[in-house]
Amino acid sequence: MVLPPDIFYVEDDHDFAFIMQYAVKEVSESLTVSIAEDGNSAIAQLQRYEDEKHRPKLILLDLNLPGISGLDVLKRIKEIPFFKYVPVILFSTSDNLNDVKTSLEIGANAFLTKPSGYHNLITCVKSLYDFWFQQNRSIN
Amino acid sequence: MNSNTVDLTNCDKEPIHIPGKIQSHGFLITVDIQTLTINYISENTSSFIAADATTLLGLPFGQFENLAGLKEESGQLLQLLKLGEAQKNFDTINPYPVKIDGNSYYLIVSVSGDQYLLEFEPVTLAYDIQNQIGKSVSEILMGKNLRSLLQHTAKEIRELIHYDRVMIYKFLEDGHGEVIAEVKNEDLESFYGLHYPASDIPKQARELYKLNYTRIIADVNTQDASILTHQNAPLDLTHSVLRAVSPMHIQYLRNMGVESSFSISLILHGELWGLVACHNYSPKFIDYKAREAAKLIGKIVSSALEYREDEEQAEQQNNYQTAINSLNFHLTKDEDLVTVLTKQEYTVKDIIGATGAAVLFGQEISVLGQTPDPKQLRGLFDWLKATMNDAVYYTHRLPEVYYPAKEFKQNGSGIIACMISREMDEMIVWFKPEQITFIQWAGNPEKPVLPSADGMLNLSPRNSFEIFSQLVENTALKWTKVEISNVIKLREKIINAINRKAGEIRILNERLKRAYDELDTFSYTISHDLRTPLTSIKSYTELVIATNKSLDEQGKKLLGRVVAGADKMNFLINEILKLARVGRVELELVQLDMNRLIRDVAAEVVSALKAERVKITFGELPAITGTDALITQVFTNLIGNAVKYSAAKSNPEVHIEGTEIEDEIIYKIQDNGIGIAADHHEKVFELFKRMDNVKDIEGTGVGLAIVKRILEKHNARIWFESELEIGTIFYVAFRKQ
Repeated sequence: MVLPPDIFYVEDDHDFAFIMQYAVKEVSESLTVSIAEDGNSAIAQLQRYEDEKHRPKLILLDLNLPGISGLDVLKRIKEIPFFKYVPVILFSTSDNLNDVKTSLEIGANAFLTKPSGYHNLITCVKSLYDFWFQQNRSIN
Repeated sequence: MNSNTVDLTNCDKEPIHIPGKIQSHGFLITVDIQTLTINYISENTSSFIAADATTLLGLPFGQFENLAGLKEESGQLLQLLKLGEAQKNFDTINPYPVKIDGNSYYLIVSVSGDQYLLEFEPVTLAYDIQNQIGKSVSEILMGKNLRSLLQHTAKEIRELIHYDRVMIYKFLEDGHGEVIAEVKNEDLESFYGLHYPASDIPKQARELYKLNYTRIIADVNTQDASILTHQNAPLDLTHSVLRAVSPMHIQYLRNMGVESSFSISLILHGELWGLVACHNYSPKFIDYKAREAAKLIGKIVSSALEYREDEEQAEQQNNYQTAINSLNFHLTKDEDLVTVLTKQEYTVKDIIGATGAAVLFGQEISVLGQTPDPKQLRGLFDWLKATMNDAVYYTHRLPEVYYPAKEFKQNGSGIIACMISREMDEMIVWFKPEQITFIQWAGNPEKPVLPSADGMLNLSPRNSFEIFSQLVENTALKWTKVEISNVIKLREKIINAINRKAGEIRILNERLKRAYDELDTFSYTISHDLRTPLTSIKSYTELVIATNKSLDEQGKKLLGRVVAGADKMNFLINEILKLARVGRVELELVQLDMNRLIRDVAAEVVSALKAERVKITFGELPAITGTDALITQVFTNLIGNAVKYSAAKSNPEVHIEGTEIEDEIIYKIQDNGIGIAADHHEKVFELFKRMDNVKDIEGTGVGLAIVKRILEKHNARIWFESELEIGTIFYVAFRKQ
């Protein structure tokens, strides 16, 4: 049995996923991240988490994915009661207002524009960590 | 006994076919077709035959020879009538020679109602005229064109009948006449080129000319002979060769000094085309056979005229058509319209018989031939634009409907106007001159016209010309159906050419729009796709700097440049994205509270640029209509620039205000900053163009390009005034909704 990650990250861009792993470790050595490369494998992975009654503490979801889009993955997640209280944050290079609006309507808890650069990413992850893992510990 | 006389005063209603009198060089008797008794007789019959006219009335015609003392046996003339009756035609009988008292006469028989009309006139021609006719006709037909044909006709007729003057009148469409050919004794004043009002030859007279192809007035000074009868009805003398002449006409001839007149009708397509009018200044009688010869010539000339006139008309229409075809050929090519219409081998002027033409195209006026001056043309164009209901308007009496045209009536009494586009100020006008100004005076124009109290003595060709002149003042020759239809044809061709061109432009426009959209999509996609690898470059570089312990300071510094470069590129890409997005955004026009919008933008700009020391003041900020996000972007850029480029000054000030001017609301954003050099004014709104004096100030050169695109989308205008080191004022004019 594998321990569930703190952050479940759906990202098709290897570079971004790679940098993210560094940024997460930079924020906290104990913070764990698991990465899915596309919508289908993300859904499959989440299915397993449900079967094993494991809940990630935070789901980061890229919008532009090959195959099933980020928004579709979001829809599926929100249909699974087990993940009802897991915060899902859309994470995209796009700052298109329509995307933002739609994702919030479907049930995303926030919409973040991907920061540019390693340092900005660390700042971003740190802020997420502080908010979702430190201040709101009670939720989990 | 009745003798019907004619009233002198009303010439137009004068019943000239029943004058009740005949000319006295011959005599007339009529024979009732049923009873064969003598019913009417001219009172002068007694001076030709040895019987009293009155006693013959009511007697059987069978005894006429005997009563009249003719050589023929009694009943022979009656047999003649019966023969004519049987043949339904007296043409083969006429003229029938008879001898009375040793003198030769021709008897000419015709039918008038229930009477045989028997007219006797003297035979004066000793030789057979037939030979001469053949020669005359071949001389006449040598005339190649209408004018020379007619001139030959006048000459040959004169040789046939030896009159002092032979003229050819042509009746024009409005009924007035013109002398178009003349042959005369040298000592006579010429009437060539004179015009006569239609009233000179009244309508009923024209009808008679159509029935009797020749007409002689042998001596205007002899007393007419009354027709005696016991009948109540006046005798219809329509077909009579001796019919007395209207006193009006007699007076007219007398005033001219004419003592004898002869005319031959020229009939075209069943209508009276004109007359060969012959005048003699002493009494002159023409023998029946010579008159018949003249009549034959008249008929031959008529048919030649018919052919020549048709031919000349066809030729002219051919010329017009050639001009239209040539114009159309150039219209179908992609040439400048005004050049096509006015500067080719054939111009608009050549498609009809106009003496001038003017083409209005926007503000430009092009003229051909004789036209009013430019100022007069402007006035005319304005009037036409205001009053024309249809695409084509024509008049041959423009000064009567448009008074200012009196000033240019010599050039433009007649116009055809053709509207191409009222909105675009595009039209063509053709001109014809006032008729009277180009009618030539013949003879001595100084010869005074003698006024006369009774009106009658006043009748003369010169006087008629005066009357005619007044009648046709402000009048041009009428436009023909062919001319009007040519104008309509040309208009269709021009409209087609314009539509075709508009169609091409529309297609081009569509293509351009598509290209523009594609460019927007392209810019958007490329910018988007560029961002991801750029982020990788930046992230990996930063990662290396942060985690690689073996890096020395130099290495860190160089990698730092990579990061800075990536940042700068990222900034540019973001700006291009913004620009591309303007093209993709749908306008949502709403009333914008500019007081709020501009103050918010200003506050945001100041805080973003950390430029609190720049003093910003506001005037009136009237509402405008626009798309909130886009207009915010416009003012963020403009106020941002004003703040940015004045921030380094000692007392930086930016002032913003909006004013309503006519149908626009004009905003101005004024600063006292570094200004824009005059030689850069053209480039300010171009993409990625930055001025030399702003190198040290951050910017991409995209801002004003975005502003311009947004304002274009809003149908707003932007411009600026600037002086180096003094400051810049940007103006944005929004249309009031």
